[in-house]
Amino acid sequence: MYIYLRILGMSTSSLYRGSLTTILLKLLEEHGKMYGYEITQKVKELTQGDLVIKEGALYPSLHKLEASGFLTVRAQRVDNRIRKYYEITPQGKEEKTSRLAELDEFLANMQRIINPKLSY
Amino acid sequence: MKPEPQKITASQIEELYTFTRKHFVEHYDLQTELVDHLSMAIEKQWETQPQLSFEKALQIEFKKFGVFGFMEVVEERQKALSKKYSKLIWRHFIDFFKLPKIILTLTAIIAAFFILRTGVVNEIWFGVIILVLFVIALVELIITSRKRIKAQKTGRKKWMFEEMLTTAGMGTNFSFVPFYFFQSIFLHTDDLSIAPLWMVGLLSFLFVGLLLVMYIMQVEIPKKAHQYLLETYPEYELVASN
Repeated sequence: MYIYLRILGMSTSSLYRGSLTTILLKLLEEHGKMYGYEITQKVKELTQGDLVIKEGALYPSLHKLEASGFLTVRAQRVDNRIRKYYEITPQGKEEKTSRLAELDEFLANMQRIINPKLSY
Repeated sequence: MKPEPQKITASQIEELYTFTRKHFVEHYDLQTELVDHLSMAIEKQWETQPQLSFEKALQIEFKKFGVFGFMEVVEERQKALSKKYSKLIWRHFIDFFKLPKIILTLTAIIAAFFILRTGVVNEIWFGVIILVLFVIALVELIITSRKRIKAQKTGRKKWMFEEMLTTAGMGTNFSFVPFYFFQSIFLHTDDLSIAPLWMVGLLSFLFVGLLLVMYIMQVEIPKKAHQYLLETYPEYELVASN
């Protein structure tokens, strides 16, 4: 997980934006239920502050994934407010696997292009 | 011993709800999620800067959402829920093409076919249907806007998906208008008894299909609205007292 985030964090923002959903699915699979703020903090922690998920991008992605059936929501009263937790669904796990495979391939290809000697 | 970090109070929670409303988030579901997010973020700031004022901390957090504030989040939420709604309609629609409902659907299509074939249904008929549906749409519009005014007065919370489930169906009342044009422009005749069979067949299918969509959006889904809302909003029951 960390290595993905490192690489994505160093890449341009557009590159990373396309991978946001993959990151979310992977994080939620590893950590079980999480809420929005927790996700931004977790990513910051994992990348040692290299990668900051924009709030304006996080919630749209979460809502999209939920509408596609990849995530489910649960609500809980915490302190004096309501917190919404997101959880990955079996369908979401499948999606994560295929997206991660795609990402792996992409990274491998990038490696080959950037550092051709290593591929021999 | 380190002092306990400051926590958001109940009145500040209310302030945050007002803040989201001021920034064009009118639905309670999204307001709640944003209020929790802002609260967490402000408390986090207080951990390192306990002397920071609530207002200042809120401004810092709000800036992180970018120049458009919550607008993008709201728009994308709307898109996501529309997608969910379309899927819901599709699920209901497909149901009419599975046993046992398919028997009913096929019977209706065949009946429509023979009725159209007799040539009795002419432009005037379509005109009447459109007019009747228009009146229905008008009545529905009046009822929903009355409900909305009442809800506003009583301070009832607004849920984005609920609004979609109860109002989106109204538009379908106008979906017969294209039929009218189809008949008068493309068929060049109001006598369907001499039109090609495939055309009458297609028309029957479209006719029944449209009726089904109207029925699903205006009767079936609103009837099950409570169940769908609970699926979408687990917090619905937590605040059911509204």
